[in-house]
Amino acid sequence: MSGPVKNSDFVSKIQVFEPHKAALPPLVPYFKEFWKRRAFATELARFADKAEYLDSKFGKVWLVLNPLLLAMVYFLLVTVIRGSSSKNLGLTTLAHILIGLFTFYFAQNCISAGAQSITAGGRLILNQAFPRALLPFSSTISAFQQFLPTIPVYVFVIVVGKHFFPTTQVPGLTWNYLWVPFIVLMVGLTGFGLALLFATMNVYFRDTNKLLTYMTRIWLYLSPILWQPSMLHGWHKMAIYLNPLGPVLSATSDVWINGKSPSLTIILGSLFWAAFAILFGGYFFISRERDFAVRI
Amino acid sequence: MPEELAVRIEDLSIKYKINVDTKRTLKNAVMRASKGERVRTRVVEAVKHLTLDVPHGSVLGIVGANGAGKSTLMRSIAGILPPTEGRIIVNGKISTLLALGVGFNPALSGRDNIILGGLASGMTRDEIEAKTEEISDFAALPDGFIDMPVRTYSSGMYGRVAFSVAVNMTPDILLLDEALSAGDASFKEKSFNRMRELCKEARTIVIVSHALATINELCDSAIWMHKGTMLAKGKPDAIVDQYLKFLDVGALPSNFEDM
Repeated sequence: MSGPVKNSDFVSKIQVFEPHKAALPPLVPYFKEFWKRRAFATELARFADKAEYLDSKFGKVWLVLNPLLLAMVYFLLVTVIRGSSSKNLGLTTLAHILIGLFTFYFAQNCISAGAQSITAGGRLILNQAFPRALLPFSSTISAFQQFLPTIPVYVFVIVVGKHFFPTTQVPGLTWNYLWVPFIVLMVGLTGFGLALLFATMNVYFRDTNKLLTYMTRIWLYLSPILWQPSMLHGWHKMAIYLNPLGPVLSATSDVWINGKSPSLTIILGSLFWAAFAILFGGYFFISRERDFAVRI
Repeated sequence: MPEELAVRIEDLSIKYKINVDTKRTLKNAVMRASKGERVRTRVVEAVKHLTLDVPHGSVLGIVGANGAGKSTLMRSIAGILPPTEGRIIVNGKISTLLALGVGFNPALSGRDNIILGGLASGMTRDEIEAKTEEISDFAALPDGFIDMPVRTYSSGMYGRVAFSVAVNMTPDILLLDEALSAGDASFKEKSFNRMRELCKEARTIVIVSHALATINELCDSAIWMHKGTMLAKGKPDAIVDQYLKFLDVGALPSNFEDM
């Protein structure tokens, strides 16, 4: 035990709680506290996986297997609808659906887990004061950890595929893969921002999460995953830019499938949506989070 | 604020709006909007113009009937609920053990929950790991239970872990809301001793309890809250007496047994 507490020990620890005149609480202390407790978010993500047995071997396999099987189903569907195509095009389509789905799933997991993080963390919220954004942030970390093992799976499929179809357009090792961290960061930021938005909505309307299931399914079809962005012409190209994940999924196609770096408009589009999601979702969340304790 | 104060509450009022409708769903909201109905809400004035100083090293008891605003007051001192009016100045690190469970995740082990709680309260991983042994020793769970999922715990065990976490975080200010009902007689004795130790170290404790004997035994001052206002403040026995008279049951022994 430490000795008697001297008054001088307290000087730096004074906290003042006052009514907030503006909608937002003071942001500098908020982010300081957020940063100070980042270990809480990472541990929570790890423990959440533990609680769902996702850290067991089979749990991890399932995480990869689920999008992989879905990709197979979509691949069959797309090739059947489009009719017979050359074998080389087949591998390209498969590769495109795979990497598109894996990337989309990353964002979707951020959002769906993040949307429930506040309502599920009720007791913690009633008992302790901490920046609530840590809870959806933890979901984002969790989604990222689930996304990581899908990359080697993709690489494996492509390496095997290239062995059997050496003339395929799917690129081998190029410098363009240096764009991947940027893409992953943009997906993560957009996902986190939207998670903040839907987490707040879920506190006010408890059926938001059900709605989200349908929304993400429709969103998946509207995104360039089952179809290539190059299939759009003229003003139809707007469909890419109106979709929060559109630009970043186009960049995914460019880098992983076409073996080129994304165009400037695609990069700017990705940056815009990531910034917009974080700012809009963040404002919506932080300005309302002091209300959560009475609404949970 | 004078240095000898741990908590200063200046003219504090807390109001919040509650939604009267039972089902808060998007579907209902759309239906209501289409019918042109407004959302039915009610403003709850949980705390009204409360001013209070709590010096370092003191134990303050709060008594009052249900709905008096005791828990709201505790939450606002902890920084969970912001004031609607007035100001709260807190001088020191706070540890809370508030009602409605402790935020434990039932699927995780006691140890994992202790670590998570510590991290959420702003401790570093090393700090909390150094404390984990102390906490589990204090809780004195049967062999191996600390590494088993919390859902396997009995309610007594659950309460003991929760209490051990709160008192062993070396808080400067400890907020306990109906937290002393857990555990058997020997654990109670241990917790009382631990709290007296904390007081000797000039740490401050605020207790909300319906077990009036606890208030009498541990506190050196008490307040009586009723419908959001502070009705009386003074020595614990005097406050408890007044409160009991108000309840119109007199100082019956039965009220002293529920601890």
